[in-house]
Amino acid sequence: MELLGNLAFGLATAMQPSNLMFCFTGALIGTLVGVLPGLGPMTTVALLLPFTFGLTPEAALIMLAGIFYGAQYGGSTTAILVNMPGETSSVVTCLDGYQLARKGRAGPALAMAAIASFFAGTVATLVIALLSGPMAALALKFTAAEYFSLLIVGLIAAVVLAHGSAVKAVAMIVIGVLLGLVGIDVNSGVPRMTFGLPELADGIGFVPVVMGLFGLAEIASNLEKPQDRTLLTQKITGLMPTGRDLRQGFPAMLRGTVLGSLLGVLPGGGAALPPFAAYALEKRVARDPSRFGKGAIEGVAGPEAANNAGAQTSFIPMLTLGIPSNPLMALMIGALMIQGIQPGPQIMTEQPALFWGVVASMWTGNLMLLVINLPLIGLWVSMLKIPYRMLFPAIILFCCIGAYSVNNSVFDIWVMLGSALIGYFFIKVGVEPAPLVLGFVLGPMLEENFRRAMMIADGDLAVFVTRPISAALLAVAVALLVALVSPSLRRKREVAFAE
Amino acid sequence: MRPRTPFRNGIDAQELLFGLFLVALSGVAFWQTSRLAAGTAADMGPGFVPRVIAWTILGFGAFFVLRAGILPRRALPAISLRPLVAVLGAVATFALVLPALGLVAASLAAILIGGAAAPGGRLLGTLLFAAVLTALTVLLFVTALSLPVAIWPW
Repeated sequence: MELLGNLAFGLATAMQPSNLMFCFTGALIGTLVGVLPGLGPMTTVALLLPFTFGLTPEAALIMLAGIFYGAQYGGSTTAILVNMPGETSSVVTCLDGYQLARKGRAGPALAMAAIASFFAGTVATLVIALLSGPMAALALKFTAAEYFSLLIVGLIAAVVLAHGSAVKAVAMIVIGVLLGLVGIDVNSGVPRMTFGLPELADGIGFVPVVMGLFGLAEIASNLEKPQDRTLLTQKITGLMPTGRDLRQGFPAMLRGTVLGSLLGVLPGGGAALPPFAAYALEKRVARDPSRFGKGAIEGVAGPEAANNAGAQTSFIPMLTLGIPSNPLMALMIGALMIQGIQPGPQIMTEQPALFWGVVASMWTGNLMLLVINLPLIGLWVSMLKIPYRMLFPAIILFCCIGAYSVNNSVFDIWVMLGSALIGYFFIKVGVEPAPLVLGFVLGPMLEENFRRAMMIADGDLAVFVTRPISAALLAVAVALLVALVSPSLRRKREVAFAE
Repeated sequence: MRPRTPFRNGIDAQELLFGLFLVALSGVAFWQTSRLAAGTAADMGPGFVPRVIAWTILGFGAFFVLRAGILPRRALPAISLRPLVAVLGAVATFALVLPALGLVAASLAAILIGGAAAPGGRLLGTLLFAAVLTALTVLLFVTALSLPVAIWPW
């Protein structure tokens, strides 16, 4: 019953009028920006990060979480209405969602997506509340060696489960680690790789790097392609799903929720994997698989539920271990650090209001998404009509001000400029920039724990394999790597991501 | 896939450039950490981990450069300079103008230069759009969020 007490305590925090308002604002702005073409959750959260600087840590994290699932939900809306996924996680929703919309059934598709998301969000909130306690307790037993091994597993899993070339992803993580090490070394007080610039003493700014890599580089590359979007012009009539929709959608929703909750906890599983897996599962269990891709409601309900459940349970490693399971969670950790909070297992005991408040706010946030999205669907459709040529100058300007506002420093704008140039280069040579962010955030933690473990073990690398938990974790990492290079699994992975 | 003779079939430009980038990056890291003490494994100095990372990056760089020769020929995707220059130019202008002339001038300049990334658009409409967006920006960031920044040059 401790669980209920904790949730009630969290709800008390989340239901405070001011926090409720931040949650609402976050979900609303998140949806608003997420619906806009060419802006995925990553860019949206980075872009809106500066708005949370003046808030208390609880309010900031509640609002950011709201922005996050708002943006993700906005991505589903564009996927259904214009066949344009905001990011990888809603690619699957395009398949059947857009077909439903073409049949004039956009309303039920959107409603089903919203209901599935809300249901999955509710279940996932409970999963978080249940799992966090044991996870944090376990993590408190960890020494530097276990932490180091855990970080390695997390990074490798993120690579295995991400899409694109795995070797390049590892290389990008290492680049991120290197960039993360820039600044004054905490142990010796010596500035490292700062080029003698005092502005770099505190390290390279996280926000300008993300804004440059994702926001600006994407604009430059988007503008190279011809801008054509086919917007469904017919009006959306009737949101209510039919009884048949519900009968078909409900079991899919349940399956998606379970699958998504499980996959979300895995390191690296947050964004892309759950909806893909759920879609594949629905196709397999369906009596008539040929309906898929032609507007099957299960093809929307299952992946949407999995998507939202996974997005939420991916908070578990972040909140309990201080380890981001995907780049977006890395962004959340960056936000926490800007607030002066060191993420880790101690958050739960030292800042219970923050921890349980954020967990409970996920549920209130999902409720708000339901309220915001369905009645206001007409507004979102009209947002889609904003031409990109009016949008991108505004994004450029917001990035500039956002980068500046972190430390009120012009230097950060120049950092963003450099990151944008490098991000553009990455797009041109065909590498995903997301793993870099993961390495960037984890780099200092990785070094710190490595150094501490080696110091305690007197320089003996064996410490990582003689301590049982650490050895088990490293075994998982090795198994993942073997799986990655094994040809049969590799083919399966390619098929899964090609679908 | 049958084995290929390196560099016989042309090169994969994407792999090559990414590899060279990594090699160059490791070079910068080695240069910047050259004066840092490495220490021993039991008592690491500030230079230990950065140098390990730099070696790793060098290894990856060499791997991609070599693989570029084995993989089939692939050219870089076309680069159109206009959007890139306009976006970066807008940011650079903002950074230069903001401390000297304040937020209004910097915003206007960034919108107008950035807007040039996409062709077309009438002058009057663009100016009007820039003015409205600048006004909204000042209201949002300075009035509502009290960002400490000068609005006007004076």
